[in-house]
Amino acid sequence: MAITATAPPAAGSGVKTRPEWLESAIGQGLALLLALVIALGLGSIIILLYGENPLDVYGSILRASTTDKDGPAWVLSSATPLIFSALAVSVCFKGGLFNIGVEGQYLVAMATAAWAALHLGGILPGPLLMWGVLLFGVLGGMAYAAIPGALKVKTGAHEVVTTIMMNGIAISLVAWALNHPLRYTNAPAGQNVDLRTNIFPANAKVPDLGHLFGYGPAPRLSWLFPLAVLAAAIVWFVVKRMRLGYEARAVGASAGSAQAGGIGIGSVQMKLFLVSGALAGLVGMQQILVNNASTNTGGYLPQNYEATLGFTGIAVAFLGQNNPIGIVFAAIFWASLSRGESILPLETNMPREFVIILQGILIMSVVITYTLARRRLERRQTGRVLAEEEIVVTQTTPAEVEGTTT
Amino acid sequence: MSKLGFAVSIAFTYFTIIYLTGLGGLFSERSGIVNIGLEGLMIIGTVTGSFGAYYFGAKLGWGVPAGPIMGLLLGLACGAAFASIHALATVTFKIDHIVSGVVINLVAVGLARFLSTVFFGQATQSDPGQPHLHVISIPLLSSIPAFGTAFQGLSPFVLFPFLIAFPVWWVLNRTRWGLRLRSAGENPEATRSLGVAVAPLRWEGVLISGAFAGLSGAFLSVEIVNNWREGQTLGLGFIALAALILSNWNPIRLMGAAFLFGFAQAIPLALRDWPIIRSIPEQFVNMTPYVVTIVVLAGFIGRVRPPAAAGKAYEGTTT
Repeated sequence: MAITATAPPAAGSGVKTRPEWLESAIGQGLALLLALVIALGLGSIIILLYGENPLDVYGSILRASTTDKDGPAWVLSSATPLIFSALAVSVCFKGGLFNIGVEGQYLVAMATAAWAALHLGGILPGPLLMWGVLLFGVLGGMAYAAIPGALKVKTGAHEVVTTIMMNGIAISLVAWALNHPLRYTNAPAGQNVDLRTNIFPANAKVPDLGHLFGYGPAPRLSWLFPLAVLAAAIVWFVVKRMRLGYEARAVGASAGSAQAGGIGIGSVQMKLFLVSGALAGLVGMQQILVNNASTNTGGYLPQNYEATLGFTGIAVAFLGQNNPIGIVFAAIFWASLSRGESILPLETNMPREFVIILQGILIMSVVITYTLARRRLERRQTGRVLAEEEIVVTQTTPAEVEGTTT
Repeated sequence: MSKLGFAVSIAFTYFTIIYLTGLGGLFSERSGIVNIGLEGLMIIGTVTGSFGAYYFGAKLGWGVPAGPIMGLLLGLACGAAFASIHALATVTFKIDHIVSGVVINLVAVGLARFLSTVFFGQATQSDPGQPHLHVISIPLLSSIPAFGTAFQGLSPFVLFPFLIAFPVWWVLNRTRWGLRLRSAGENPEATRSLGVAVAPLRWEGVLISGAFAGLSGAFLSVEIVNNWREGQTLGLGFIALAALILSNWNPIRLMGAAFLFGFAQAIPLALRDWPIIRSIPEQFVNMTPYVVTIVVLAGFIGRVRPPAAAGKAYEGTTT
């Protein structure tokens, strides 16, 4: 490989046809297409076993997220937490780390954000409260992600196992918080309510966005969606253009070479966990600040909160190939499929769990086809490099070649 | 004392689950394939095992012990079948082992739900009270005063780990196949240079890991809970991984590690009203198994040595 550095710039011409990024994009596109064909094909077999027509079933899923009433708004609002979650996973993955703990991080963040919403109302006036609540969510996620980060850096304990354990601990922590410091005090007299926090002030709510586009209030499309897209843009910028992104990619590609190049691996890993935790902190906000809010109240954290968004984020991150822009589209696609879950039992004989299987097959095929496509690309590049080397070798004198072999 | 006996009997149950799953991880990692998908393989074992016990034991009327045994075997077979995806991805296509394992875990949750609708007509559980093996009391040990409760009313299957621990050690350390499997995990280039193909050994390692994890999951749903419930594996697949690390990838030492983690599971279940534990909020007591796992992992990781080539794809000729 060292020889390529000395190769004359023109040496590769004649072998090279397309720019590298285009070739990579085409490869990824074809890989995604292949994975889709595999998933839809295997899905069709299952549909046929149920005695249904695959076109009808896929048509129902497609209609539910597009032409049905408020369809796109439903899709975008349920894609919102998935974007944050997948971004959180992808940031760590850039540095070769697997943050399986987004799940626990967002649960803890929902509790810290709920605390802020209940206690900062008098301190932060007007809409500032919402920003304060979001900030506390971010801080909660960061604090909880710092623990597996520190364990990884200080002791080398593998983050996959520690973050999974931290997820289990988070469930108990939130249960404790809901039973003690955050337990409701304002339940209506004589009524039995499920365990939850008090209702937040209306200022904690994230405002609705859907009505600007003519959608009804039911899908709960809020300003969190553009915030998620903005977060994706920021992550893209950090990864591509900033020092941390460069260092993360170096550590992810080869920790040994990164260290030799003067990058402090531990500090990079810790920073990645903190950024990841910050993003994870926003996963639960759609739920407590939007879905649970009403016209003049500000939402709450219930005992039966929606879990597993952190795990879905892993799937979305893989589907979007850890690319922030890809993740936005992957989250929307994933949410479209999920939207089909409620439609299937109504319009067909398929159980709603069919969608989960379809998503499972898709993610499995995507992981395999992406890797094969990337490897094919690497091989072609290596082939090109070898071709360049050949030119270099023909230019060197026999004496030099002998000198290197002895 | 009888409380402690109760705790030990629960610890034995979890020991069985963690030990068998850990053995699965041992075969896979010793062959060079990291298997973080043990949890997912267990999940497949729980749902298919439960179906086997219900279908053969109750629906076909084979009764006990044939029904539950069929359940355990079905869990074992389906665990191995599902593990073949991990083998295909990591050995044949050389996908990153952790990525594949994570996907195995994700897909298993959805697949279990889907299978449950097919098997039981409901997505998240099967009807309780399925056939299970007749419980036994271990002679002599069960008559110890006060403490004997630890050895009463156990599933006979808890004896299984004690029957196979030494044979497994012997196969790994004293047979030609065991030597080759370990060499594939330590130095695949050397294995290849001696004319032994690496890929089939690694396939075998991963399939065996699926069989053990599936059997372990089936034991949990068939013998302990007596039905299938979503989420009943409770991260035990990951705890088994931690036990495997603590054991330094040794099947005999794995027994001690599995019992330690099994006992941690028993603390919130059996020792809740012990003096000090009683004063701690119950939610914090529930964290015990997870905290113990993290502490042990963080404390021991530098003092053990994983198989040298585990987690690395072998790029050489795989034929």
